[in-house]
Amino acid sequence: MNVVLLYLLLLKGTVTAFAGLASLPVIQDALVFHYHVLTDKQLNEAVVITRSTPGPVGLYIVSVGYFVAGVPGAIAGWLAMITPAFLIIPLVHFAGRKIDQPRVKGVLQTVVIASAGLLLAASIPLARDALTDPVTIAIAIVSLGLLLTTVIDTLWIILGAAMISLSASSLGLIGHIPMP
Amino acid sequence: MTTSDDHTAHPRLAPLAWVFARYGNFTLGGGSATTAVLHHELISKRRWLTQDRFALCFALGRLTPGTNLLAFCTGVGWLLRGATGAVVALMAASVPCTVMVIVLTALFSQWQENQFAQSAIHGAIAAAVAITVKTVWTIAKPHFKGRERIRVVIVGATAFVLYVFAGLSAIEVLLIAATVGALWPAEHS
Repeated sequence: MNVVLLYLLLLKGTVTAFAGLASLPVIQDALVFHYHVLTDKQLNEAVVITRSTPGPVGLYIVSVGYFVAGVPGAIAGWLAMITPAFLIIPLVHFAGRKIDQPRVKGVLQTVVIASAGLLLAASIPLARDALTDPVTIAIAIVSLGLLLTTVIDTLWIILGAAMISLSASSLGLIGHIPMP
Repeated sequence: MTTSDDHTAHPRLAPLAWVFARYGNFTLGGGSATTAVLHHELISKRRWLTQDRFALCFALGRLTPGTNLLAFCTGVGWLLRGATGAVVALMAASVPCTVMVIVLTALFSQWQENQFAQSAIHGAIAAAVAITVKTVWTIAKPHFKGRERIRVVIVGATAFVLYVFAGLSAIEVLLIAATVGALWPAEHS
């Protein structure tokens, strides 16, 4: 895929999102469903990768860019991630204190809430791709429970899930070794 | 507003880059932990910003599309050193973590061959689904209070239905949401 087009598609996601993963539905829509240059599995992996590094969640878009077009794609992802940040300059410079206006707040609030609804919708194909057996389903349910009820860092959840999955498949392998 | 008024320092670019490289790239523990560290560094320790200026950048950062932390860093860079400061702060806060992600993604692609790595990744991906679902709640939660709760449920559920069952694109749903928000102003909180 053309790197400029990739940048514009990723930018369409970041510029309409107000939180890290909120751009995911727009990007899934464009790259997975429309252009078929990315899979739901790769989208899942991008989330894993970003949560395994110490940067902000929005970085998953760099992984997405890499999966689509290698290092040039990753650079397109980085540019799509940082471009919207410049919008704060006119805001700081001119808008100042108008952010308390109810109408402005209303627009921002509904957009943010709608993006939460979209993200829930986007997680359905992600779950369909990732949760393929009882072990992964159990991992997802336990992880969600821990995330909602504790403040454990996501990095530990990811590492724990990886260890459990590795152990489970190793045990499966041991089970297949013929007994002497 | 100009960048030269009250109590805003004009640090050199090297320490500016250092602060954002050191604290902008490490958000383990969540964005609020990073904000707390930057608050201490920028206001109490280095005295580059006043509390008001910090709060302004923080609020506007949340209103700026994309990654809030990066917008915040850009805004602070702008206040401290104008356009150069904005670019330096944004580069310092985004390049190191981007390089880390590229390296890890390249490794991921290589690990496709390895069976043990694959089973570990398979489990990690299941956890990623949980993280994505949890993020839905993280995004909605700050608005889920008092009488706004009904609004959250109606807007969130409508967006879900329009996207999944009515076949609208994500952008169309967000535009409809923005229109509804303009006609249905938020209550003061």
